[in-house]
Amino acid sequence: MEEIKLDIKKLVSRVSSGETGDFISFDPQNCNGCGKCADVCSFGLWSVKDGKAKLSKRYKELCLECAACWEICAREAIDFSYPAGGTGVVIKYG
Amino acid sequence: MEKWDVVVVGGGPGGSYAAKTAAERGLNVVFLERGRKPGEKNASGCGLGQRWWRDFPEIMEELPSLPSYRKVEMVVINLVDENNRLRMRSGTTGSDLCATRWKKGMEGASVYRSELDPFMANLAIKAGAEMRTSTLANDVIMENGRVAGVTTDNGHTLKADVVIAADGAMSTMARKSGMRNRWGSGCTLVPQLDFSCNEERLDDVIGNAEWCWFGPFYGAYQVNFRDGFHLGAGQWLRKDWDMKPLDMLKRVMEVPAFQSMMRVLEAKPREYQAHLLPWMESPPKTYTGGMMLVGDAAGFPCPLEGEGIWHACISGRIAAETAADLLSSGDVSEKSLQEYERRWKSSRLGLEHQFGKEFVDLWDSSIFNPEMMKKQIQILLEFSMLHPFSVVFDWGDAHIEAFNQHLEHFLDLLPEFEDFGRNYIAPLGEGIWPENQRRILLLLREKMPVLKYMPEKSFLRLAKLIYPKLKAKI
Repeated sequence: MEEIKLDIKKLVSRVSSGETGDFISFDPQNCNGCGKCADVCSFGLWSVKDGKAKLSKRYKELCLECAACWEICAREAIDFSYPAGGTGVVIKYG
Repeated sequence: MEKWDVVVVGGGPGGSYAAKTAAERGLNVVFLERGRKPGEKNASGCGLGQRWWRDFPEIMEELPSLPSYRKVEMVVINLVDENNRLRMRSGTTGSDLCATRWKKGMEGASVYRSELDPFMANLAIKAGAEMRTSTLANDVIMENGRVAGVTTDNGHTLKADVVIAADGAMSTMARKSGMRNRWGSGCTLVPQLDFSCNEERLDDVIGNAEWCWFGPFYGAYQVNFRDGFHLGAGQWLRKDWDMKPLDMLKRVMEVPAFQSMMRVLEAKPREYQAHLLPWMESPPKTYTGGMMLVGDAAGFPCPLEGEGIWHACISGRIAAETAADLLSSGDVSEKSLQEYERRWKSSRLGLEHQFGKEFVDLWDSSIFNPEMMKKQIQILLEFSMLHPFSVVFDWGDAHIEAFNQHLEHFLDLLPEFEDFGRNYIAPLGEGIWPENQRRILLLLREKMPVLKYMPEKSFLRLAKLIYPKLKAKI
């Protein structure tokens, strides 16, 4: 079977100017290191180190704004708001 | 500080339709969109079904002028077995009933939200609503325990008699007002790839249709536009989530029949998206003092197939009408806004959710369950072999032998399907209209020699004794 190769990072457009501001916050105290946030992230922006989740420092330039990490975290360790108005991901074909 | 009759948060179809309706009712209304233009942050498939012709004909008439528009007249289901072979391709084209029920038969439409949303926002602006783009509503203002307006990330405070929250699945408004936080187990994640393709080939090979890919994987939809298509899949965000979002799509793209379709259409991945999609048995509370939730923010998408745009527009319309009616009396307290829930529950939107639990259960144990799908596809394939046309083209033996062999195989498989039928199909029987229940019973009676001679009234009474849930008027 032919393996499908896809570099999805090249398949996302963003507004080139403007500051998104911080829009994901993480409370390690509530995290039990289950790693579900890493499972649901299309771009692998979450990882688990020493029993705690860790968010990529580059999330502002890579995040798809889907908020799946916020929704799946049963311990509510992740809070998600949106990037500042007029910044972030642009959906052209959807 | 500004003061409005109604502030609508979100410039998607639900927000725009609410703003349009409020403006038409003479209210002073503004709607806020966090993208630079509506549609830039959309979350959608996006196919619009036949009911749009009944409820929003003025929108359907105009859609062909949008560049990505494709007319849709059928849904084609591709069934794939555990060896990745395409085993059945069948379509819903609609019966005579479909052709006469709506003036446009089975006609629906596919159009990119990046085009639909600006079009709908324009309708609201034309009706007199004000739109503000690049504006993220980041909090609610609470006064005397009720929502009294919103604040935005560019430092503005907008006071309002009523806030209509159309701000999507993650609804900041619902969260900040304390209505809820996460959905819990009622929300799916939908990864989606957009493909560019050759328009003429798409016309020739697929035509005016949407496609689905069902198999021993997370079921996928393929929405076809003028010169491109979406492939999307999904699953509930629960503890048992077990796959990378992109791998759900790759699994379908590996199917040889999908690959050959891509080759013929010269299809190339063009954009990747991922969205939350609430998929609820029944929406939780949809109002609080001074605020109503519409569309995805309320959890309204269809519990059977996940469409949400119609639900957003219908709920947006009901919310704005409720606001207009209540504002004339000046009472938009939580108690008085119960009226919103009463209205949507008694609308077709409410009817869609009356069987929410049954629909969600059915989906959860079929299309969203790769293991169950293996079995179900086997049953479906064997059942299809009993179809008269299939019997004609099974040349393996004398035809009556072939028919009997397939019947035998089907009967052998049936016990495996029994639990599924009892747990997931039978509960839907309660949705059969009493008059139809009565007709089914009387048909059965005709076929049973003993019962045939029993008076109709006594027979129906007996039936009700055996099956108390029967609603047929007796």
